[in-house]
Amino acid sequence: MKSYILPVTLAVGGFVAACTSNVPPPNDQWSAAQVAVGRAQAGGAPAVPDAKLHLQLAQEDLQKAKALIGSDNRRAGTLIVLASTEAQLASTLAQAAQAGDEAQQARESLQKRGAQ
Amino acid sequence: MSRSIGIRTSATSVKLGLFGSLVPLLLVGVGCASQHMPPPALTEAREEFLRAKNGLAMQLDPTDVHEADLALQKAEQAFRDEPDDPSTMDLAVVADRRALLAESQAAGLHSQQEALAAKQQGATMTAEQLQNARGQLGQTQQALGQTQMQLQEQQAASAAQAQQLADMQVKLKDARDTIAKIAAVKDDDRGMVITLQGEVLFKTAKWDLKAGAMAKLDQIASVLKGKEQPIVVYGFTDNVGAIDMNMDLSQKRATAVRDYLVSKGIPQDLIGSEGKGPADPISDNNSIEGRASNRRVELVVKPKTR
Repeated sequence: MKSYILPVTLAVGGFVAACTSNVPPPNDQWSAAQVAVGRAQAGGAPAVPDAKLHLQLAQEDLQKAKALIGSDNRRAGTLIVLASTEAQLASTLAQAAQAGDEAQQARESLQKRGAQ
Repeated sequence: MSRSIGIRTSATSVKLGLFGSLVPLLLVGVGCASQHMPPPALTEAREEFLRAKNGLAMQLDPTDVHEADLALQKAEQAFRDEPDDPSTMDLAVVADRRALLAESQAAGLHSQQEALAAKQQGATMTAEQLQNARGQLGQTQQALGQTQMQLQEQQAASAAQAQQLADMQVKLKDARDTIAKIAAVKDDDRGMVITLQGEVLFKTAKWDLKAGAMAKLDQIASVLKGKEQPIVVYGFTDNVGAIDMNMDLSQKRATAVRDYLVSKGIPQDLIGSEGKGPADPISDNNSIEGRASNRRVELVVKPKTR
């Protein structure tokens, strides 16, 4: 009797451990992603349509991830990575739009002077 | 960028679709996971990565392209390991976003380069304009310098002319003073008039010059010589005697004086002679003194015409 209780206990315990505590709750990652979202908001993303879209997607992913933390940490983790990436993309798109505007202005300024 | 929306919505629909297709797939064979079709999100991510790798992003932002590569590899690995796991879809979208990020980062850098180039070109234009303006300024300064030099030359020339004029006036006065010592000098509308008494120059009814007359005429000639002023010698008589004889005598006397002055260096083309006879008396012919002063020779020195 004792001879198989221990292995079974170990096996069951190992299975439970693998399923529940294999991936720790990604709370730190979630906070970091939220910082990235804040940075995109401050960086002018809401004013650029493409950037605004990805900012919204980032926020949605963050919400989904928050709801899954504890019950499905693994999925929550990939959603957080996705949210963080969306936020970074939003920031980059906003910066690219600003750089494009500046280039446009510089070109127009040059054309005006050339026409003089 | 509407493409990225499509990716995301298609990714969601794929997730739903996969749940639907999961049941028949499981029924066909659990061991055939490798025969899964790659989800559209992964396909999109692969295509997006290729665009980034073959486009501007690879030139301008290789680091982010590398990140996108790693993200794609991770998504591919997840697809091989757990094709049906929702996290696999997340990672495919992450890979797609990484590629997009690299591309937009490169686009931003490209715009910055363009702006810089335009500003540099503008600065070059400004430098050229400045150069041109400097060149024009230099030319203007040179022209101004030349004008100033010409002005100085003109001022010097007019100062020299003024000096010459003053010198001439002094000489003229000297000449006049010299002549005034030996003859009566006055100015009228004909010019400077030098009057010599007939008795001083000639014997009665003669027209050959006395020795004393020659000495006086020598002095006058030396003063008038070189002045280059036209001179007319007029001979006058009193009203005694026939008019023809007086006209003839006055002409001969005037000519004698003229010829003598020519012989003393007065240019002959500048000096003429004319006999006026008893015309234009300067005194009363009824007195001896009056007639004596009417018998005279006048040298009219006209103002210089040249």
